[in-house]
Amino acid sequence: MKVLLIEDEKTLAYEVEAFLKKAFYLCDMAHTGQKGLEMLGVNPYDFVLLDLGLPDLDGLTVLQQAKKLNPDAAYIILTARGNIEDRILGLDLGADDYLPKPFSLLELQSRMQAISRRKFNIHTQEIALGEFMIDLQNRTVKNQLNEIDLTRKEFDLLSYLLLHKNRVLNRMQLSEHIWGSFVDDDYDSNYIDVHIKNIRKKLGAYGSVEWLETVRGVGYKIRQ
Amino acid sequence: MKLISKLTLFITLSKLAIVLLFVLILPYLIGQIASSYTDYYLQQQQKKVLEVVAKNSVDSYLQGEESYGSYTMLKEEYISLEPVENGFTLDTIYTDERIIEKDTLNYRVLIHAFDTERGTYLMEVGKTIETIDQYKRPLQRIATYVLLGLILITLIIDLLYTRFLLRPLVKIIKTKIINRKFPFNENPTPIQTSTSDFRFLDDSLIKLMEQIHLAFEKEREFTANASHELMTPIGILQNKIENLMGEPEVDDLVQERLIGMQKTLNRLKRIVHSLLLISRIENDQFTKKESVKVSELFDDISDEISHRLSEKNISLKTSLSKDILLKNINRDLIFQMFYNLINNAIRYNKESGFIHIKDHLNTDGTYAIDLIDSGIGIPKEEISTIFNRFKKANKSEDSGGYGLGLSIVKSIADYHQISISVESDTSVGSSFSISFPAILVEKL
Repeated sequence: MKVLLIEDEKTLAYEVEAFLKKAFYLCDMAHTGQKGLEMLGVNPYDFVLLDLGLPDLDGLTVLQQAKKLNPDAAYIILTARGNIEDRILGLDLGADDYLPKPFSLLELQSRMQAISRRKFNIHTQEIALGEFMIDLQNRTVKNQLNEIDLTRKEFDLLSYLLLHKNRVLNRMQLSEHIWGSFVDDDYDSNYIDVHIKNIRKKLGAYGSVEWLETVRGVGYKIRQ
Repeated sequence: MKLISKLTLFITLSKLAIVLLFVLILPYLIGQIASSYTDYYLQQQQKKVLEVVAKNSVDSYLQGEESYGSYTMLKEEYISLEPVENGFTLDTIYTDERIIEKDTLNYRVLIHAFDTERGTYLMEVGKTIETIDQYKRPLQRIATYVLLGLILITLIIDLLYTRFLLRPLVKIIKTKIINRKFPFNENPTPIQTSTSDFRFLDDSLIKLMEQIHLAFEKEREFTANASHELMTPIGILQNKIENLMGEPEVDDLVQERLIGMQKTLNRLKRIVHSLLLISRIENDQFTKKESVKVSELFDDISDEISHRLSEKNISLKTSLSKDILLKNINRDLIFQMFYNLINNAIRYNKESGFIHIKDHLNTDGTYAIDLIDSGIGIPKEEISTIFNRFKKANKSEDSGGYGLGLSIVKSIADYHQISISVESDTSVGSSFSISFPAILVEKL
């Protein structure tokens, strides 16, 4: 997967690049809109991560032109402006998703995965997890015989952990993904634990859930 | 008392006082005029007599008699000439009784002694007081009527003119003071007036409002810009921490430290987010064109918040009308407002407490939703400040709030002209009453 990151804030761009490289994406960077458009004219990209607040060109104009140069790429808008109008305009202009700054890198990856599933029709095969098969597309969890009924939030939690498997996710990261802007200040609260307990109970009735580990004092991870 | 009433009262009373004074001194005045006119008349008579005497000698009156006397038919006037000893002088006017033909009457009498070829004579000319007085009464009456008429006319003119004169002031009060809402967003129009004082007052008010508006604008702009600028470094830090957490060589101890850092950073992020939201609300950046059914709104909120309820084992009981639609609102903001209120009710609630939500539609079309909780309550002295930024109830308890939740509630409420009242008892809990103006409410 080839990613072009158009972002003028260099420090931020390097962090995103470092993260994406680790997640096995090929990442190119452009710090101006002009440069970004030039690179899009030369190379094909699967993902374009576009900051709307660029120094030289208006982000939405860049989006329009980029769509012409590279119509097949998936576009994710990153912006600190956070206006609803910007968001609507961006999505109207053909952006696939929208992430308000500051965003979590894990969340960015999760959005990119979701777009991949939707747009490029990959990762559609079911993922094996211990004795269970997880279908991210159809949002189902099955063992050999039964389909296990999880609530929306429980499934979100499970799939987020699965997406970032072998990585410890702390309660805050998990809550932020599940509850978004409604996340509260008191992260020490145990509502993530309640959901994890429920997932373990529901899946545990059909098989081992040893792969879902509690990391004391930190959070949870799926080990594979 | 209003200035116009005061002026009206003053003008009326002062005119009344003048009338009263005039009516009181009128008899005396007229008496004076009448008596001085009478005196003048008597002097004229004297002059005529003396002229006749000088021309035709005193004999023309005496006709051989010793003395002369004559009076008019009703004895209103009389004249008499009597000889006195030579060299006698007297020249006076006074009021005295005279007996004429057995009638005793009061006369104004002029007495004058003069020399003739036949010796010194004393002349008396008299006029009855009655005839003098008879003009006094009608004169008084006419004078009073004329005066009253004049006073009435000037009173009306004065009142109309003061009203006209004060009209700009009334307008200034109405348009600049009563009907203006802080922070004076709309441009004030100057009042038309030629009175320089009012011009000055109006100009000063306009200037003052502009200054307030500008200062407020600046603050808003600053909040928006500062929050916006803060987001970038926060984002960088967040991503750096995230990348660090993903490093395999980071052990659990460091991991825990990193989580601590992330928490602090998140706290900062939330504060900045909240400030941005408030400044956006105050900047009118949200439309108010949506509608939502109250029952559906609260279903969504309790969906979103159920995990927090179960965490503290709090029961949420909602008894809301199914047929109330909130219109001309921003759904997200109204959602946020109630979410924050319920969230607060959970945060400051007791373990296994309750939250009751009920509503009532008033006859005047306004609609109120009450949130009653069994929480720790708010001390009386803090109720007035709970909606202020960076204030939190019960500072002693480390409950994790940063005081912006209720500020957001207040901003959203103000933005929609919703009023919120709070009652609280530290032993029972708090009750928030949110009342919607009739224009936001529709009964289905």
